[in-house]
Amino acid sequence: MTDPAISARALTRRFGGFTAVDAVTFEVERGEIFGYLGANGAGKSTTIRMLIGLLAPTSGAALVAGHDVATAPEAVKASIGYMSQKFSLYLDLPPVENLLFFGGAYGLEGKALRARADELLELTGLAGLSAATTGELPGGIRQRLALACAILHRPGVVFLDEPTAGVDPAARRAFWRIIRDLAAGGTTIFVTTHYLDEAEYCRRIGLMVDGRLVALDTPAALKKTWVPDRVLVAQGQGLAAAGAALLAREGVRGVAPFGAGLHLRVDPARWGEREVAEALAAAGARDVRVAAAEPSLEDVFLAVVDRGGRAEGAA
Amino acid sequence: MTPKERIRRSLVRIGAMAAKETLHIQRDPRTLYLALGMPVVMLFLFGYGVSFDLERIPLAVADRDRTEESRALVDAVTAARELERVAEVPAERADELFRRNRALAVLVVPEGYGRDVARGERTRVQLLVDGADSVSANQVLAKVDALVRAETRRLSGPGLADRAPPLRVQVWTRYNPEGRSALFMVPGLAAYVLAISAVLLTALTIAGEWERGSMEQLFAAPVGRLEIVLGKLLPYVVLGMIELQLVLAFGTVAFDLPVRGSAVLLFSIGFFFLAGMLGQGLLISVVAKNQLVATQAGALSALLPSLLLSGMVFPIGNMPLPLQLLSRIVPARYFVHALRGLLLKGNGLDVLWPDLVALVAFVVVILGLATARFQRRLA
Repeated sequence: MTDPAISARALTRRFGGFTAVDAVTFEVERGEIFGYLGANGAGKSTTIRMLIGLLAPTSGAALVAGHDVATAPEAVKASIGYMSQKFSLYLDLPPVENLLFFGGAYGLEGKALRARADELLELTGLAGLSAATTGELPGGIRQRLALACAILHRPGVVFLDEPTAGVDPAARRAFWRIIRDLAAGGTTIFVTTHYLDEAEYCRRIGLMVDGRLVALDTPAALKKTWVPDRVLVAQGQGLAAAGAALLAREGVRGVAPFGAGLHLRVDPARWGEREVAEALAAAGARDVRVAAAEPSLEDVFLAVVDRGGRAEGAA
Repeated sequence: MTPKERIRRSLVRIGAMAAKETLHIQRDPRTLYLALGMPVVMLFLFGYGVSFDLERIPLAVADRDRTEESRALVDAVTAARELERVAEVPAERADELFRRNRALAVLVVPEGYGRDVARGERTRVQLLVDGADSVSANQVLAKVDALVRAETRRLSGPGLADRAPPLRVQVWTRYNPEGRSALFMVPGLAAYVLAISAVLLTALTIAGEWERGSMEQLFAAPVGRLEIVLGKLLPYVVLGMIELQLVLAFGTVAFDLPVRGSAVLLFSIGFFFLAGMLGQGLLISVVAKNQLVATQAGALSALLPSLLLSGMVFPIGNMPLPLQLLSRIVPARYFVHALRGLLLKGNGLDVLWPDLVALVAFVVVILGLATARFQRRLA
């Protein structure tokens, strides 16, 4: 089990003169949740479509579950699960018929298929659904049903293309619980999203900017590399003027309003919580409290996009 | 995987496609109407509406003679009720009647008719016919001609009958002795309505998958192109066969359509015709990727050739050569020909095999094209 579940080597796709995916190289280990982040049009879906054998790469190569996507797309298709961006279920059919159909499409049949469908309805919390058609279900439920359809045949690798777009937070949380259970059971998950909070669930994250993979690491390591500043949050009164004054000091790299308080990025060698609190008080603020804050993936994402991908190569 | 296992898996996938498609059909009343309601309604409308049989032809009479003899002639012409006397007018007003569609023909009996008849001399009557509708005009001419001949024979009396010409032509019409156009039209109409509904049925299905976005999901599964095509086709073939029986049953009940040939051969020919038309719909659907375009292309490609090039209305032998050649790739041509032969004449496979071969060839070619044009990759 040392082979990676997915390995892409200089995977490239051009549409005419436009390069949608530009020499992307990475590996995903078995049982890993791998997040693929990027703005709309950054090349996330194109990458997925190449990895599942739906789109031929212009150049480069990829192995998925041990099969070459260019030469053996059918073997790839049989060993993966895929949930497309607008999870395309048949809305006029009852939920369970969707499951039975996709099961049949993957070659499952008879009692085994029935049993597996029931098992998945249980797993995704959809047992006892009485809806006559899938179209009557709310988005969050449909999304879980689509996931169930994608994993009926127990694929080793599951590709999810923006699975939670347009779904409410509670449903997203329930969805990710299922994803993590799957990964804990050894299934490899390749997921694209632009919800940065969801990316925290991933073991590793790849960041796409304009078709290139500009960063790839664990969330913690990405934060350390891309946001080396210490992030502090100050609360109190008269902070606006004091903050502006502080920005002129050496080692203060950024000051931004943050709710009623202030968000500061400072050089960790020069500034700590106490120094910042004292400096703000000296500049006229009152009741100042300063606390350390964890840089978010949003900070990372903005830093990456700011630098336009003049990145360290993707690891 | 052994070949046997591979075939079994493939059958499972085709079965899953067919079962899903059947559910779609069950849940969509439009499909059922298109398949079962529309053909019967169309057959009913066309069967009664598209009739070349004329009854109660409105006939105006301009009797300038006004004698017993002239009245006898008018009575003889209108006695059978095929021609109905609608007006007494002077002959100069014939045009006006035609323009207003009040009469199709005007019978003009000249002055002196009674006198000539009484003397046993040659005489003449005049028939003015509205030629705007040539089909009706020809029928009126034929009917009046026959009626006037009969009247002539009556007037000539038994003495003249002995001097009948030595050569007599007797016309004896086989298969459709009453000359009812329904018997001629219904097999053609059956082909026509089956063609339209079959092409429309499948024209929507693959285009629908593209529009719904489910095609991408389908392509990501290990379902082959031919498996998708066959799986989609199967439920519609079953539906089409029900449709065919319905249309034929309706034809026999409503229009006294005889079924003189073998029922097995009838349904074999029907099966391949339907499969071909459904395949044509699939091909359109594969190429169009859009339900609106598919519907229009489907309706046009089924309607025009089946109506104009099938021999349903216009005899193929009378067409210019390019059209005759074109009609050879229209399945309806073979189906109409086979259907007429089988239903009216009781023809068997010994006569109809070329039609059957042509229909099978069309099915193979059209399904091959649909599968070939069906790209399972996105780009």
